[in-house]
Amino acid sequence: MPLAAPIRDEFVALLGERDVLSDPVRTRTYECDGLTGSRVVPELVLLPRTADDVAGCVRVCARHRIPFVARGAGTGLSGGALPVADGVVIGLNRLNRVLEVDPENRRAVLEPGVTNLEITAAAAPHGLYYAPDPSSQQVCTIGGNVAENSGGAHCLKYGFTTNHVLSLEVVLPDGSVVTLGSDSAEQSGPDLRGVFLGSEGTLGIVTKITVRLLRTPEVMRTLLADFPSVAAGGQVVSDIVAAGIVPAAVEMMDALAIEAAEGATGAGYSLDTPAALVVELDGTVEECEEQFAQVKEICDRHGCTRLHVAGSPEERANIWRGRKAAFAAVGRISPDYIVQDGVVPRTRLSEVLERIEAMGTEAGLRVANVFHAGDGNLHPLVLFSAADGETERAERLSAGIAELCVEMGGSLSGEHGIGTDKACSMPAMFGVDDLAVMDRVRAGFDPDHICNPGKLLPTPRLCGEKPGRYRPHPLEEAGLIERL
Amino acid sequence: MTRAAPTTLRPTTPAEVRDAVLDVPGRLAISGAGTARHWAGRPDAVDATLDLSALSGVITHNPGDMTVSVHAGTPLADLQAELAGHGQRLALDAARAGRGATVGGLVATADAGPSALIYGGMRDLVIGTTSVLADGTMVRSGGHVIKNVAGYDMAKLLHGSYGTFGPLVEVVLRLHPVAKATACVAVDGPVDDAAERVLALMASPLEPIAVEWLSGDPGRLLVRLEGGTSTLPARVRRLVELLGDGAREVGPDAWDEHAALTTGEPGRAAGVGGAAGAAGRDAVVRIGCAPRSLAPLLGRLPATAVTAGLATGVATVTVHDASVTDVHDAVAAAGGTSVLRDRPADLDAPAWGAAPSALPLLTAIKNQLDPEARFAPGRFAPWM
Ligand SMILES: Cc1cc2nc3c(=O)[nH]c(=O)nc-3n(C[C@H](O)[C@H](O)[C@H](O)COP(=O)(O)OP(=O)(O)OC[C@H]3O[C@@H](n4cnc5c(N)ncnc54)[C@H](O)[C@@H]3O)c2cc1C
Repeated sequence: MPLAAPIRDEFVALLGERDVLSDPVRTRTYECDGLTGSRVVPELVLLPRTADDVAGCVRVCARHRIPFVARGAGTGLSGGALPVADGVVIGLNRLNRVLEVDPENRRAVLEPGVTNLEITAAAAPHGLYYAPDPSSQQVCTIGGNVAENSGGAHCLKYGFTTNHVLSLEVVLPDGSVVTLGSDSAEQSGPDLRGVFLGSEGTLGIVTKITVRLLRTPEVMRTLLADFPSVAAGGQVVSDIVAAGIVPAAVEMMDALAIEAAEGATGAGYSLDTPAALVVELDGTVEECEEQFAQVKEICDRHGCTRLHVAGSPEERANIWRGRKAAFAAVGRISPDYIVQDGVVPRTRLSEVLERIEAMGTEAGLRVANVFHAGDGNLHPLVLFSAADGETERAERLSAGIAELCVEMGGSLSGEHGIGTDKACSMPAMFGVDDLAVMDRVRAGFDPDHICNPGKLLPTPRLCGEKPGRYRPHPLEEAGLIERL
Repeated sequence: MTRAAPTTLRPTTPAEVRDAVLDVPGRLAISGAGTARHWAGRPDAVDATLDLSALSGVITHNPGDMTVSVHAGTPLADLQAELAGHGQRLALDAARAGRGATVGGLVATADAGPSALIYGGMRDLVIGTTSVLADGTMVRSGGHVIKNVAGYDMAKLLHGSYGTFGPLVEVVLRLHPVAKATACVAVDGPVDDAAERVLALMASPLEPIAVEWLSGDPGRLLVRLEGGTSTLPARVRRLVELLGDGAREVGPDAWDEHAALTTGEPGRAAGVGGAAGAAGRDAVVRIGCAPRSLAPLLGRLPATAVTAGLATGVATVTVHDASVTDVHDAVAAAGGTSVLRDRPADLDAPAWGAAPSALPLLTAIKNQLDPEARFAPGRFAPWM
């Protein structure tokens, strides 16, 4: 049922006519996030400019029990920002100020619409940076990062968004404003800050974020190494870890992913290798040099066929460009693809990759692999052609891969979230009781079920429905952002 | 229902914990090794105590994945000894571990030590939990992998919960390698002087693992480094040079003083203002604020002894028991948080500082998970 005109008037009274969108031509822009197969045109889109106005909008929603969905840049890959029918979208892009950079306390205070990369840009003059670095960092917002507990290539050593957020100002679903977390790691009672992190917009809207900043490391050393098999690459990762080394990043690509990435970027990857590893170390000069020598030795021991060490910041950037382009580049070798985000215990990498290959063969589909080898977070890319009627098979294969990860002692998602995409797979990972308790916690925040309903936890309505196929994000097509 | 004498139950399996919760009506206190019995709000009278110290031991250790799952009653010190055989550790150096504190107790009290500067606290190290709710539901969240965003992170809710949502029975932890070499550099001086040195240190690339100022005459700053056997000496030299006059390498036992100060045993250290603690009437308060606000704040507190993380903003201060309220007020005025820890058993002082803005939310979650308020009554008094 459409929202009654008087309700629209309440939003207009709050924000002004200009910042309340109801024209379908304009609201259609908000119909999906990065999971482009699912689309719902929202009834209204609200574009507040201050935290007070966000609270005001939520209070109107609470009064009339109108469902609302917070939205940052819309790069989420699990349908978290998918609008709900008869609901409103609250866009946070206009709350985009860096409120404070405090170099002595090594922290920054941000509005939610600030992009991930802007934080580091603001911190850099002080020799500081913000560690979590999702590949979408040029456009994704810190509000979205908080909601998804986003990761990045460097989270093996430095942790995820949750490890870098000190406190949050949150508008709860009843419109009240609270602070979660504090100025230090000490808190008054349970870590509600941590509960909110990764809650995918279902527990409230964050309007202010205080993050920790780290000092830029003294040195960084990056290498690109080819191996005769993915298994050999996996063994290198195991040996690095066994040597007590915690690299800043360890990324692996298989032949198909390399073919795509190299074709798109010409970054200097070998086209004839079954597997390539990118290993980066950072830290003090002393430690970094010693460990880098050890890593090179480990690579040699496992039959490394080519070892390229970045000799300059440009060469390092080049290696990363190839790695980060891999997602989008897959579009060059396949008309359509689905990106998966499962996690397995790192020691089971080789095994899971073999199983994935077998599953692909059985389904008659190719799977390219790009992954965060250090923490077992896989991004298998299921290649298919919708035109040839392969969509359903590809979706089944993709969901099967995620559930295989769970079966192997891992997780459905390492960083992209559950959203609507994987809500129906949650019973593969959690028991009925576990999910019911999560729902009770949610009810503590949102007793009226108006805050991003239908996301994260399975609902009969959602799980009866069939999501559409993956299409590249518009920003990705425009070459503005790259996948992992 | 009331009982003449409270019962103590010592379950040895998660199922026995659940049975105890279901079978024993009324209000339940939860204890591990009992090392934080006098922390936070004093427990109200209960019908029974769930003593989890017999629910102990490693469940699975995956050295290659650097994860371990343990029963919640496992003493951290025992776990560390077991992990050390694999060159691994839980990167948590809360001093209380030395007194037998259990993994579950350390999570429930959100305890941490100086190395939280780099490794974070339990909220950063726990990757999965199983706990038992008041209605007997066994709830699991997280898992056995480091990277995982599926579902709400219930472990965070239990972190600092003091048992209010129910007992933890299993905890999954991410591990770190044991450092090949560790060194400690000390420099003497009062807290303000130390704070300026720490500012320079944190702007340097030296990557200290822990930075702690200990009260005394005139006080002492300790800085810990970790690294490789052959590479660490060069960094120690750089650190000594950076800290300047009087800085020198000291042995690891320099940290014993820190451990003593966290328990409110200031007899070994002269007070900040030169006053010695009157044994038996001291109270220990844990405080946190922005790191650069800490030294000035400490100067305003009537502390008899202090150990202060000048780079984390977290400090443990000892005061005469009559001053607890003053400490809460001064910390709140600095935008910080404070909670009472060890104190005389009969001390009637507020355990917590000002109530957080999220108190109604916390209460709503409590009502969802423990509607009859069975667990750990009193721990968040007077708020909840
Ligand atoms: C090409 C590409 C590469 C990517 N690479 C990575 C990667 O390396 N690592 C990674 O972790 N992710 C990656 N992602 C996923 C995505 O970028 C992240 O999940 C990101 O954090 C989403 O931010 P956003 O601002 O776009 O949020 P949106 O997509 O707008 O929203 C995401 C979720 O957050 C909620 N939300 C948004 N703002 C708020 C707020 N202020 N308060 C409360 N809830 C809010 C929404 O309701 C929704 O549930 C990638 C995506 C793309 C398209």
